[in-house]
Amino acid sequence: MDNSLMQAQARRKKRNSRLAAYALVLPAFTVVMLIVAYPIVNSFIRSFTVRGQAGFTLENYRYFFTTPRELANILYTFYVVVITALLSTVIAYAFALYLRFVKTKASRLISKLYLIPRFIPGMVAVYAVIVVVKDTGVINRLSLLLGLDVRPAMMFNTTGLVFMNLWFNIPFSTMLIVSSLSGIPDAVVESARDVGAGKLRVFFSMILPLSIKDVMVAATFVFMGNVGSFTTAYLIMGSTNPKMLGISLFDQFTRYGNMERAATISVIMFMICSVSAVVYIYTNLKERGWEKR
Amino acid sequence: MKRKLSLLLGLVLLLGIMLPAAATEGKKLNVWVAGSDNLRVLYEGWVEMFNNSAEYNPNKHVAELQFLPSGAGGQSIDDKLLAAVGAGQTNTDFDLVELGDDQISRLLSEAPDLMMAYDPAKIPNLEKVSARTPNGPEFFMAYRGTTVVMAYNSKNVPEPPKTTEELTAWIKANPGRFSYNTPGTGGSGDSFARTSVYNLLPDEAFMSNDPKWEAEWDPGFAYLAEIHPFLYKSSGRVVYPNKNQGTLDLLAEGQIDMTPAWADMTLSQLQQGVLPPEIKIYQLQPSLTGAVSTLGIPAFGSNPEGAHDFMNFVLSDEAQIYQLQQIAAIPLVKVDDPATALVADLDVSKFRTQSIGELYVNFNLRWEEEIATLP
Repeated sequence: MDNSLMQAQARRKKRNSRLAAYALVLPAFTVVMLIVAYPIVNSFIRSFTVRGQAGFTLENYRYFFTTPRELANILYTFYVVVITALLSTVIAYAFALYLRFVKTKASRLISKLYLIPRFIPGMVAVYAVIVVVKDTGVINRLSLLLGLDVRPAMMFNTTGLVFMNLWFNIPFSTMLIVSSLSGIPDAVVESARDVGAGKLRVFFSMILPLSIKDVMVAATFVFMGNVGSFTTAYLIMGSTNPKMLGISLFDQFTRYGNMERAATISVIMFMICSVSAVVYIYTNLKERGWEKR
Repeated sequence: MKRKLSLLLGLVLLLGIMLPAAATEGKKLNVWVAGSDNLRVLYEGWVEMFNNSAEYNPNKHVAELQFLPSGAGGQSIDDKLLAAVGAGQTNTDFDLVELGDDQISRLLSEAPDLMMAYDPAKIPNLEKVSARTPNGPEFFMAYRGTTVVMAYNSKNVPEPPKTTEELTAWIKANPGRFSYNTPGTGGSGDSFARTSVYNLLPDEAFMSNDPKWEAEWDPGFAYLAEIHPFLYKSSGRVVYPNKNQGTLDLLAEGQIDMTPAWADMTLSQLQQGVLPPEIKIYQLQPSLTGAVSTLGIPAFGSNPEGAHDFMNFVLSDEAQIYQLQQIAAIPLVKVDDPATALVADLDVSKFRTQSIGELYVNFNLRWEEEIATLP
C-alpha cells in the first residue's frame, strides 16, 4: 500500500468518526434545544409583551422595577440567597476541614452519614423540619415537659427559611469541598509543618489557596439553586411579604393568570443567576492564570 | 401451509379491527375530571363500579378517567374545552366533563353551543334530586354538594358565634385565634374573603362578573383590614397560611380555634383521625359559599349514550353513598347510611353560590396589595 492511499484512508476514518460523534451528540443536543433553549427563548420574548397589545414593550420590567412591593421581592430574594450561600459555604467549609483532617471514629462515621439528606425528597424534608420547629412542634413539646415554653419562631419567618435552605445546601457544599480538600496531599501539609509553619499559617498559605476555587464553585451553585426555590418558601413562609421570586412567579401564574409577568420574573431570576455565573467564570479564569505562573 | 396460516392470521386481524367498530357495545367513555386527589380517588372508584355494573351499564360502555390534578399549572378542563371550540373540532374524546358551578357561567357565555342538553328521560334517577345548578341547569346536572363552613375547636369555643357580626366581635375578643388562608391558594380562604366583601353589596353582585362591582369593594376590604391585627400571629406578626390545609393544620394543633374550611375536607379528615374529635363544623349566617358540582356532555363528545348512563349511575343510591363515605361529599339523593349524620345540618338547596368570573384576579391582587402587606 502506498503512502497517499493510507493517508486518504486515515482521513476517511477520521471523517467517519467525526460524523459518528455528531450522531451521538445529536439526540442530547435536540432534547436540550427543545426543552431548555426553546422555553428560555420563549419566556424571554414573552416578557416583552402584554396580553391584548401588539408589539414590543418594556411595561412588565417597568412594573417589576418600579412597584415598591415587587422591588422588595427582588431585593428579599437576593438577601435570602446571599445569606444562604454565605452561611452554607462557611459552615460547609469548616465541616469539610473537620472531615478531611480530623481522623477519629466520629469523623469517619459522620463522613458516611452526612450525604443522607441528599436522598430525602425536598417536600418530605420540609414537612419533617416543620414538624420539629413549628411553634407547637417537637421542640416546643419537649420544652413543655421541662416546664418551659420554647417557641422557635421559625415558621413564617426568614430565619426558618434560611435554616431550611442550609439543611439542603450544607451537605451539598460539603461534598464539593471535601473532594477538593482530599486533592491536597498530606505530604504538602506535613512538609510545611516540618519547616515550622503553625496551623493557621498552613491553613491560610496552603489549604485555603488550594481549595478556594472549589469553595467559590460551591457557593455559586448554592446561590443559583436557591434563586428559583419554591417548595421551602411556599410551605414555610405562607403569604408573608416580601416574597421569594419563586412564590411571586407562582402567584402571577396561578393566582393572577398573568403569563407575561410570570415570564418576566423568570427572566429577572435568570439575570440574578447570571451574576453568580460571572463569579464562577471569573474564578475559573483566575485559576488558569495562577497555573501558568 | 405457510400461506394458509398467514391468510388465517390476516383474517383474524381484520376481524379484530372491524369488530369493535361494528359493535355499539363496549364503546369507550372518557370522563374528564380536574381537582384535588380525593376527587381522583372518588372517580376511580366510580369508574370501576360503573364498568362492572349490569344495572347501570347495560350497554357495557368502558368508562375511563381522564384526571387533571389541580395546581399543576396545566390547562383546566374549561380551558381545554374552549380551546377545542376555538380550533373548530367537531369530534373529540370529551365525552363527559365534571365542572363546578363557578366555571359554568364563563363557559356558557364564551361558547353557547358548547354543551349538549342532557335528556332527563335517559336519567331516571334524576327524579330523586331536587338540587339544580343556577347556571345552565339544562346542560349541567348537579350530583354533589360542597360548601365552606366554619370549623372550630369545641373545647375552647363551646358557643361559636352564629352571625358575621358575632364572629367579628369574637375575633376581636380573642386575638390570634382565627385565621383564613391566602385567597387564591384554596377555596375556603377565597370564600371567607369574598363573602366578607360581598356581604356588604347587593345580592346580585355575587353572581356577576361585571367590573362595575369592583368599585364597591372598598368597605369589604376595609373590613378585612379591620380584623387583620386580630388574626393568627407567628413570630410577632399576622400571617396567612397557604392552602386550605394550612389553616386546618393550625386548627388541629390548637394554634387557632376557628377557621373557614371545606365541609367535605374537614369531615373526611375527622373520619381519618387527622383532625382531633373536638373539631366541629357549622354554618355562619349569612353563610359562607357552597356550590354543587356538575356533570355535562360536550356537544362534540363521541359517546353521549354512555355519558347519560354514567350520569344516571352517579345519582344511584350506591354511588351517592360511596361519595359520602369516600370524600364526605354531600349527597343530593336522600340515602340511608349512618354517614349521613355528618352532613345532616347542611342543606344543599340553601347553599349560597357565587360566580364573579374573571374578577377574582383583581380581587386576589387587591388582597395581596392591601391586606397581605399590612404590618
